[in-house]
Amino acid sequence: MTWHDLLAISTGNLWRMKLRSFLTISGVIIAIAAFVAMLSFGAGNQKLVREQYEQLGLFNTMQVYPPRKSNDDDTARTVTLNDATVAELAEIPGVNLAYPYSKFKVSATIKDTSFSVNAQALPAAVFATKLYSQLLAGTFYDRDSARQAVVTRELTDSLHLTPDSIIGQQLIISIKSASIDSGLAYILQNAREHMRVRLKELRFDSLLNDDYRKRIFYGEMNSAFNLFLEGYMNHRSLISDTLTICGVLDKINGHRLRIEPIIIPAASARRFSVSGFGDDPADLFKALQEGSFFVPTGDSIEQNYSEITLNLDPLYSTEKVIDSVEALGFRTFSFARQFKEISRFFFYFDLFLGIIGLIALITASLGIVNTMVMSIIERKREIGLMKSLGADEPDIRLLFLFESAMIGTFGATIGIIFGWLITRLASFIARIIMTKQGFDEIELFALPGWLILIAFLFGLLVSLVAGFYPASRAARVDPVEALRNE
Amino acid sequence: MAESWLKTFNLCRYYRRGPTEVKAVDNVDITLEKGECLGLVGSSGSGKSTLLNLMAGLDTPTSGHIEIEGHSLATLSRRELAAYRAYRVGMVFQSFNLIPHYTALGNVEMALFFNKTPRPVRRRLAIEIMEKLSLADRLDHRPADLSGGEQQRVALARALVKKPEILFADEPTGNLDQDNSRHIASLLKRLNLQGLTIILVTHDLELARSTTGRIIKMHYGQIIETSTSPSKRNDHHDLA
Repeated sequence: MTWHDLLAISTGNLWRMKLRSFLTISGVIIAIAAFVAMLSFGAGNQKLVREQYEQLGLFNTMQVYPPRKSNDDDTARTVTLNDATVAELAEIPGVNLAYPYSKFKVSATIKDTSFSVNAQALPAAVFATKLYSQLLAGTFYDRDSARQAVVTRELTDSLHLTPDSIIGQQLIISIKSASIDSGLAYILQNAREHMRVRLKELRFDSLLNDDYRKRIFYGEMNSAFNLFLEGYMNHRSLISDTLTICGVLDKINGHRLRIEPIIIPAASARRFSVSGFGDDPADLFKALQEGSFFVPTGDSIEQNYSEITLNLDPLYSTEKVIDSVEALGFRTFSFARQFKEISRFFFYFDLFLGIIGLIALITASLGIVNTMVMSIIERKREIGLMKSLGADEPDIRLLFLFESAMIGTFGATIGIIFGWLITRLASFIARIIMTKQGFDEIELFALPGWLILIAFLFGLLVSLVAGFYPASRAARVDPVEALRNE
Repeated sequence: MAESWLKTFNLCRYYRRGPTEVKAVDNVDITLEKGECLGLVGSSGSGKSTLLNLMAGLDTPTSGHIEIEGHSLATLSRRELAAYRAYRVGMVFQSFNLIPHYTALGNVEMALFFNKTPRPVRRRLAIEIMEKLSLADRLDHRPADLSGGEQQRVALARALVKKPEILFADEPTGNLDQDNSRHIASLLKRLNLQGLTIILVTHDLELARSTTGRIIKMHYGQIIETSTSPSKRNDHHDLA
């Protein structure tokens, strides 16, 4: 018996029992369609994440944090992220670029609109990385001394400006800087007048009294602190700079990335970061809490960063770089590692969806077993005749397995098409909802080649397994019994 | 001296029906010469069909063995036994056993599915044999559209299309009227005259006498009588 004979006989038998074949194949179609649609959702989301990672070059990006503070470990206080650390990390093999995250609050003015906003200093070299390649308009500044700034879409949206219209506009940024010097200077400035008033009021005869002395001391201390605060708050210096907006960066959602609305060259930012505290009183209390209140001001200040970003050589092992950085006592976050975790999640997610699909397919396979057993009962005489004509047991087994495979092939093929149609419909509905909700339209489903192949092989395999028992039963039909005269 | 084609030695086929052991074939020794037409007669349940199934390789003896041209069937593997049926044996049944959803041509072609005959050759051979059996205008008819005689001729065509060395005919006229029975008997006679070895199982002694050269009478699985019919080899008709 040739493959052509098998095909002709199997197709003929399925066609002869149209309704039964249709119902059996329908079961497989529904199961495969559900399998494809569900796994397509998992594959679509995985593809989406991968594309975002690739687009932003996150596989080659990692972040470095200072070690967590621990009561038992004093070294944590000594290992900090500063400019020296940036230089040290940049020297690690496999690191293309290291840059810190340095944020400060500024007052900004664009087109006569003033607002308070966060700014960030970045070296010009970062714009060569994929992470900052999502430019909506204009260009990036090409050197750290440039008198230019890049703003984000978030800022243009909040100002109701289009990215193109903001290019070339003047950006005035300023900060009010205060230091303990201005507070202390204010105390000294008022000391003479204050002393004169106090001396007039002082009762020298009561100085021998303890309570009077204490009252005088606390009163003077409170007065001095009030003068300090008054001097600190009211005698701040204004630092201002005017830059030209050269580019608008698209917003980057999620991924632990912090990109502030205004990005200025590192050299311009240095002016704002060396002048003591900002105009936020919280800075003062933070400095008190951290023990950095009494430090000299000026160029010699050592700035500590909350994080440093590393851009890695794609040809170099990320794990080796992580080991090198962690050996220095820092904590790390690797997007490549995060993607592995995400992939693992998607694997279990797909597995879960696959099992649901498999349950549906197993249910459909019971239909195949039923159809094939019915077929054997009906065709027992035909099987006996075939054996009398020289068919061997494997021939009969193959014939019935082929029929099962035909059911699986038809079911899987049509099921894949149906599954694809379901994903198209679901995608269409999802896009409408996204548009209405104001979200960017994204494709939630994907039908990669491997999914089509797996769905087809799954359908075929389950059909063959389902057909194995009936086929074996058919092969064992006794021809003498089957051909006995009724 | 004629060449011996088939021999059975103390052939037995017993089976159980509840507590009773039925001796369907009991110590049967038969020698069949090449080109001979042997009639197996007996009443229902005498073991004729069981003996035929054993000789056709469809059933396995309980004891004893069968030799075909000196080779025991018992030594053949399952695959070789299937090949024996596919290449060397043709079978005709009382109830025709045509597949109802195949055309007459399809039914005849089916006999060549299992002996590796190429598909175009299969069709040609099937048409040729059907033309010889006056079925040329019935090629595309389904069995249900054919008369009993035509159905049995299609069954005969199916048995003959592979050019077997022996034809086992199990009550081939059992379901036919007298005219069709005569026609089939005549066909078998002519086939035998052309050299085909035939074993004809029938309960019709007259049919056996008119068709076969030797008649073996069976009763309860045993041979009770062997007789020779008048030779039919004087006729030299051709199927065509």
